[in-house]
Amino acid sequence: MGGDFISYELKEFKLFEPLFRWARKKSIWLVAFCTGCGGIEMPPLVTARYDIERFGMMPNPAPRMADLFLITGYVTPKTLKRIIITYELMPDPKYILAHGSCPINGGVYWDSYNVVKQLDKYIPIDVAIAGCMPRPEAVMDGIREIMRKIENGEADGWRRYRENYEWYRKNQDELFGEGWRERDAKRWLAWL
Amino acid sequence: MAVTDNEVKNKVESTQKAPQDTQNAKPELPNTKEGRLVKELLEKAPYAEGSVRREKRIEFRVPAERIHEFLEIASEKFEMLMQISVVDWLKEGEFELVYQLWSVSESVHAFVKTRISRENAKMPTVMDIWPVAETYEREAHEFFGIIFEGNPRLGPFILEPREYEKHPLRKDFNTLSYVKTIYGEDFDRYDESKTNYVI
Repeated sequence: MGGDFISYELKEFKLFEPLFRWARKKSIWLVAFCTGCGGIEMPPLVTARYDIERFGMMPNPAPRMADLFLITGYVTPKTLKRIIITYELMPDPKYILAHGSCPINGGVYWDSYNVVKQLDKYIPIDVAIAGCMPRPEAVMDGIREIMRKIENGEADGWRRYRENYEWYRKNQDELFGEGWRERDAKRWLAWL
Repeated sequence: MAVTDNEVKNKVESTQKAPQDTQNAKPELPNTKEGRLVKELLEKAPYAEGSVRREKRIEFRVPAERIHEFLEIASEKFEMLMQISVVDWLKEGEFELVYQLWSVSESVHAFVKTRISRENAKMPTVMDIWPVAETYEREAHEFFGIIFEGNPRLGPFILEPREYEKHPLRKDFNTLSYVKTIYGEDFDRYDESKTNYVI
């Protein structure tokens, strides 16, 4: 941990930490990045019936302004590359909510050659919702859970990712091969 | 082209007659637009076998060495190539290629089936007839390892490079052992013989 980034653990901020947490909990912006079958569960969530905007949540076009990354279904190695890059573009603090059984253990794709079996090995997950697919009520429950965790300070995936970066990086390199960032990600984002 | 009442009756009669007359002879083609389409094509290409499956569906079986010739004749009526799908018949040691054609003018869907050996599977490309075949041939090449001679862009396409070498949709590709080597040992639910539930 170098000294060239702003730490939220500074003494001056400690006093306002409950206020920050409350504000973060009430203004979660989503990355509009849908993977797998759960993308089709998003429209009922954001439209009138389950309307997540009453929690201050909003689909957001840019990862630079986002807080919550929804992994909505199975993840292939090709998608995982994009997910990792998008996740690293997001500013701290950032949270991941994983839908369905596929990110947990592969789900129905347990013997598929092309589905990542345990997503937690590659990026940190804060809340996982079981089900195939979870109904919007279950997703709402997961959202409430992550709001509770943010308020209590338990949603520390971004901190775990920073502290155990070597381990996550090793797992990613095992799956994609050494130097995949230079090989693939540079083609999408030249400044990386 | 509208199907009149007469033609529908004819179709019913011919389908009823055919099995009674001769068991081994080919079933007579019905007098519908599909039947006439098959008949017209078979006159130009007598080496093929054709049949009407149902309304708007016709089917051809063509020997592999004459497939390009046949598709060139068929492309006069069938303006669109919709897909090239491959079936792996492991026990027979053959790949079955299905060229799915769509006739915009007649609105008829045709399956042109051909079989080639699994070892050193090679086919002539049909890019000169339908340019869109390039993508379908690349996909068939990546998943099954069929070489389409004349297609300039065969090579790694959608999958990771390590999967491209293995051709994962072939029936003799062992997905479970591949998953174990790539994603780790502790995620499978059955043992190797798929008899005991592990978790």
